[in-house]
Amino acid sequence: MRVRKAVASIATLLAALAALGCHVNRPPINHAREQILYDADLSDPRTFNPILVTDATSGGMIGDLFESLVRLNPLTTMPEPGLAESWEISKDEKSVTFHLRRGIRWFDGQPLTARDFLFTLKVVYDPKIATSIRSVLLVDGKPIQASAPDDYTIVIVLPHPFAPLLFSVGTVPIIPEHILEPVYSAGKFNQSWGINTDPDKLIGDGPFRMTRYVPGQVVQYLRNDGFWMKDEHGGQLPRLHGRTTTIVQELSTAYLRFLSGQTDVFDRPRPEEVIDLRDQQQKLGITVKEVGIDTGSLFFCFNRNPRHFVKNGVASPKLKWFTDLNFLRAMAHAIDKQGIINLCYHGFATPAVAEISPANKVFHNPNLKDYDYDLAEAARLLETGGYHLVAPGVRADAQGNRLEFNLVTNTGTPERDRMCAIFKQDLANLGIKVNYRPIDFVTLVEKLDSNFDWDCVLIGFTGTIEPNDGANFYRSSGNLHLWDPNQPKPATEWEARIDQLLDEGASEMDPAKRAPYYWEIQKILHDQLAVIETVRQIRYSAWKNKLENYRPTVWGLYKPEWIEFKPE
Amino acid sequence: MNATLATPAIEMARPLSAWRREWRHASWTVRLAALCLTVFYLFALASPFFAPYDPTFQNRLMPDCPPMRVHVAAPPDWDKGLFYTHPMKMVDPTERRYASDPSRRLYIHLLSHGHLFTTDSPIEPFYLMGSDALGRDLYSRIVYGARVSMFVGLVGVVISFSLGITIGALSGYVGGVVDNLIMRWSEIEMSLPSFYFLLALAAIIPAGLSTVVTFFLIVAIMSFISWAGFARIIRGMASTVRGLPYVEAARALGASRSRIIRRHVIPSVLGYAIVAATLSIPGFILGESALSLLGLGIQEPASSWGNLLAAAEDVQNLRHYPWILIPGIFIFLAVMSFNFLGDHLRDRLDPSNAG
Repeated sequence: MRVRKAVASIATLLAALAALGCHVNRPPINHAREQILYDADLSDPRTFNPILVTDATSGGMIGDLFESLVRLNPLTTMPEPGLAESWEISKDEKSVTFHLRRGIRWFDGQPLTARDFLFTLKVVYDPKIATSIRSVLLVDGKPIQASAPDDYTIVIVLPHPFAPLLFSVGTVPIIPEHILEPVYSAGKFNQSWGINTDPDKLIGDGPFRMTRYVPGQVVQYLRNDGFWMKDEHGGQLPRLHGRTTTIVQELSTAYLRFLSGQTDVFDRPRPEEVIDLRDQQQKLGITVKEVGIDTGSLFFCFNRNPRHFVKNGVASPKLKWFTDLNFLRAMAHAIDKQGIINLCYHGFATPAVAEISPANKVFHNPNLKDYDYDLAEAARLLETGGYHLVAPGVRADAQGNRLEFNLVTNTGTPERDRMCAIFKQDLANLGIKVNYRPIDFVTLVEKLDSNFDWDCVLIGFTGTIEPNDGANFYRSSGNLHLWDPNQPKPATEWEARIDQLLDEGASEMDPAKRAPYYWEIQKILHDQLAVIETVRQIRYSAWKNKLENYRPTVWGLYKPEWIEFKPE
Repeated sequence: MNATLATPAIEMARPLSAWRREWRHASWTVRLAALCLTVFYLFALASPFFAPYDPTFQNRLMPDCPPMRVHVAAPPDWDKGLFYTHPMKMVDPTERRYASDPSRRLYIHLLSHGHLFTTDSPIEPFYLMGSDALGRDLYSRIVYGARVSMFVGLVGVVISFSLGITIGALSGYVGGVVDNLIMRWSEIEMSLPSFYFLLALAAIIPAGLSTVVTFFLIVAIMSFISWAGFARIIRGMASTVRGLPYVEAARALGASRSRIIRRHVIPSVLGYAIVAATLSIPGFILGESALSLLGLGIQEPASSWGNLLAAAEDVQNLRHYPWILIPGIFIFLAVMSFNFLGDHLRDRLDPSNAG
């Protein structure tokens, strides 16, 4: 009898413990002792194939898996040795010889040789492969000639000097021929290394290899013990033993995780979070620092793709509006940049004028005149363009079509959400109806690069040190030429001019003489309003004081391989 | 509101005193509830009067402004206004800190410009309940939001209960195969996980519909889910009524089936229906809030109490600007009021409590 009672009470106790279970039985992971860096990312990757990547999330998640010939130093913005330990440029500047490091191995133990590089180029230049790298690697629209006299030497011969070579060819992620060549020959490269691939099968050569990916939850990495980099004392790099990236659905979740110490770094705090974090630096043992003006560009873009707007020979009136400068200038004048800075960024932003950020000191064009926020001017421009008010608060074009369009942006970014609300309200005052709906990022990218079913988008692009790396965006044939991608030949004169400027700018070797070409590209984009710039955030970064050598710059981490936790 | 229906027919001759009698019978909670609901429905019916400003006007110099204090003016100043507040100004745009300027008075004009109260210009506003992240007056948005939040319940209940009563009464009275089919169908509908079903349906509402259309679609979706449970109870009551002598008598006198349902079956279940209807309104209000919180309900810039409360979802916002929780208080009050009123009606309509 007593035994039974005891059993019953133990059972009750166990049940109570089970209810508390999640708190009882999992000891917290000691990040410092394990040397594992925890961070958070906002969305799932779309692909693990470095050649097929088009979005920043996927790029960031596999960035540590694949190396390239050179690495860019974010402080000097100059190339430094990567897989190539040295290179020589010939006297006539028309050929470059790279010398590969010896003894570099893929994760599966196979040696990395010049053949892998040649295979990578072959894949990139194949028009059947959906890659955004190709347009960056074209010289005068033609592939560059590369050969390998031996396994560790690569010779590139160019028709004329090509300034971005080290930045473009030099930074192409190299893929393993022995793994992907059979896939490529079978014509399945475009489907290879999708997010369903077993992470162990992603064979790279970088400082970390991926060990686990659970969609919507987590990506884990372990150190590549055979990585070629050594520190000044001959110690193996990277110093961290692993990395774990939690995929969170919302920015605020990422913030809360950092506050509670679950993540060690918080890369892009929102303005209101910066204020909070600054107040708590002491208490939380963290460092919060201003990193600089964002390198990217956040803009409104109107769709000008006739493949979307012309159906059965009938063009939608929207195509006419979205290519009409009166309409576009009115839109530019209707963007309240100061309001956006106050309302969306708590003052931590500056108005953006040129497409290239001032963070890029060489190529930013400082001479452009901004379109001031002026709704009266916007209304005047609309009237000039034949868009008249037909009823109070209702504006229509000359054919009587009511001005109305859909506006999309990605979900989960409150500041973009507010920007759209501000833009919508100002356009409502002009008599233009905006149907705003945020959609998730993956769906948004799909709209932009495959089904083209959109009117106006608010989207951000990350910036690059070498402006020619943005060629797939500037060039009319590029697949990121948002407003009308993949054009067989330039649809307008100014797009043709941009194509020409890109070619000319790329063949000028003297950096000082190169800048004007890119200044003119920015001026054309500014005048033609292909993209309507908004503001650039002043970026901050926060990390735990326990982390050593964590040195963020707007162009990325400086010497990330040196990051480690202080010994306890 | 529906209390007159409950009073015996003899009392109907003197409706005024019937209202008064009901008022006297009611406890103070019920009186308070009735008062709250009256105010909220007035908000909804006469929003432009109760709201001092345009609910979509963005004062971009005053985002996240805290509620302002009201002061009573001294009698000599009454010609300028009975109440005044000190104007506020953002002193730190990064932390959004505000300071009021005690040297200046911003008079609040009662019953002017067609508003209950307002100031001369929305550029220098009086924020009774603070402003939101885009510098819109939260109080005005709540007043306009009452249109959605208060009517979502009424419209929803009308739709789902007309469906429920008609189908339930038909099913219960007719019986047989019809009864069987209807009841099995309602079981299928009741076994759907309602919230997920609601999410799926709300997701297919296309962009670009007007607020009114979206509103009705949402209500229709919610009613479509909720009629089944109600129909089953009515069906049970109807099948009991069917065997009672007075229905038998009507049938013997040759009354048609539809006449019996209309004149005998439905009136006998109406008392229960009114109580159940009142008690199910809060479900609709909360349902709308939940949908709006997830961004699937009423879309910005239109407001409902649900989508206003969605701003409080962000812990950051809530910590710094606690007044964005105020719409939640309104939801709470409305839901509690309907519950008190429903309970009271049940007591009053219950024959065992008569007298």
